[in-house]
Amino acid sequence: MKHGSRLRSGLVTLLLMLPGLAGFFGLFFYPMMVALVRSLRPEGQRVGWTLEHYVRFLSQPRAQGVIVLTFVLSISATVCSILLSVPLTLVLRQKLRGHRFFRLTMLVPRVVPGLIGALGLLLLFGSRGWVNLTLLQFVPFIHEPVRMNYTIPGLILFYTWLYFPFTAVTTLSTLESLDPALEEAAAVSGANRWQVLRHVVIPLIMPGILAGSVLTFMAAFGAFSIPLIAGGNYRPLSVEIYRQINFTPARWSAASARAMIMAGLQVGYLTIYMRVLRRPST
Amino acid sequence: MTLLRRYLQALWSARKSLVYVFLLCFALLIYMPFLMIVLKSFGKGWFGRLWLPPELTMHWYKFATEVTNIPEITKNTLVIATLAVTMATLIAIPTGWAFGRRRIPGKELWMSMILLPRMIPPIAYGLGVAQIFYRLHLIDTHFGVALAHLAICAPYAILVLSATFEGLDERVLEASSVCGASPWRTFLHVIVPLILPGILSSMLFTFTTSYNEFTLTLMTYGKDTVTLPVRTYIALGEGYWEVTSAMSIMLVIPSLLVLFLIQRQVAPEKLLGGFKGV
Repeated sequence: MKHGSRLRSGLVTLLLMLPGLAGFFGLFFYPMMVALVRSLRPEGQRVGWTLEHYVRFLSQPRAQGVIVLTFVLSISATVCSILLSVPLTLVLRQKLRGHRFFRLTMLVPRVVPGLIGALGLLLLFGSRGWVNLTLLQFVPFIHEPVRMNYTIPGLILFYTWLYFPFTAVTTLSTLESLDPALEEAAAVSGANRWQVLRHVVIPLIMPGILAGSVLTFMAAFGAFSIPLIAGGNYRPLSVEIYRQINFTPARWSAASARAMIMAGLQVGYLTIYMRVLRRPST
Repeated sequence: MTLLRRYLQALWSARKSLVYVFLLCFALLIYMPFLMIVLKSFGKGWFGRLWLPPELTMHWYKFATEVTNIPEITKNTLVIATLAVTMATLIAIPTGWAFGRRRIPGKELWMSMILLPRMIPPIAYGLGVAQIFYRLHLIDTHFGVALAHLAICAPYAILVLSATFEGLDERVLEASSVCGASPWRTFLHVIVPLILPGILSSMLFTFTTSYNEFTLTLMTYGKDTVTLPVRTYIALGEGYWEVTSAMSIMLVIPSLLVLFLIQRQVAPEKLLGGFKGV
């Protein structure tokens, strides 16, 4: 009797989970498999197996450039967002006047389409944008507009603008769940503010920073809209994939091969990252 | 001694204003791009090194609504977003209930599996989705595009709702039945009011996700299902930045409105940092 009821409850659980699992398999797993099979077919054919697309892409000298560019952009954006988020969240934690407004500001890049953010940033940092006007007007040594759009530093800035909220939000929530008693104890023991920060607060919020930076990295690695319109000649993997299906006739197999490489690189990098950086305390 | 104290006090207050300078710079960095878009969309003849456009005009908005069928595109976007939200919520209610309130062996593993579509770049499985949809003739239908959006929206909704359901207090439900309420009455008068805010916030967030979704739409749209983000992208390609800016403003206002409306109710930051232990 008891065994039967347990079986029944398990079945009910499974039934409840079914819609979610169906969505997962139908809209994610099956498409991934379709893309995988497609990447192993000769272009435009439904039969036969080949590794040609992987070999051809990876043997191009340009391919390495594309992969390195993708990693450089996403890793630099991750580092920049950590550098921005940690001071920002430390300040916001003090609940200064108007901190609600700045908290909300932090979320703005995540709720607007990346496309629009990129458009605004292109306008702002363009040769006639306000940033360059300010530099020309107030910085004595600059007489020519500084080129930011369509360069790698510019792209890193744009990526950071769009993807830092992941890091900032996760860091802030870790920081707010921190027990103030620990800091008080350190302060009572004679540590100055800097020492408290350096030896108590930062190590304690490290797991939060890392978890957030993983989110930022994932988003930046797969970034599509920003490099598509603000990348110029710099094309990371996602744009490279899109270019392949924009040819006529569309090169679905070549695109799929690149997509598989991209997914593989991301999963591989994340595995290493979590292994190396995950602390026993999390 | 007093001098030293005054010096320290000055330093202290300066430090405080330095913090505000930092916060101000940050806010400028975030809001300035939108200001530029607004200026661009209202400006006329804004060339050369000018801080502000010399003339203001509504011309670009008129032009944007003339060259593109804005009502049609807005309708497409809203229909797709509504479909995606409905499907995501219908999927997430049972699945979120299972994750939140039932014992599942290896729950963490299942959860990270459900969240996998948020880890892998959308363009990777978007390719597969597009190929399948071509075969099933789902390309360029509202339902098809909404289904593609579901791949991103459903994990969000499941995550939020499972947290909501987990937060339901068992004792409240027991109290209700002890007081003689039938299960149906408990459901209607106790459970529903408790979970409604969670469901609403999940719906709002899936709505904005779908409304803003670009990559998956680009893979599955056709001429009858152009959405606002895709139209903005096309306009960017056409090179009329003023018109694109005008369209962007129309596109961005609802998202910002949602953010400012729900900030009091649901602590939106919870949804972004949503999943731990990736």
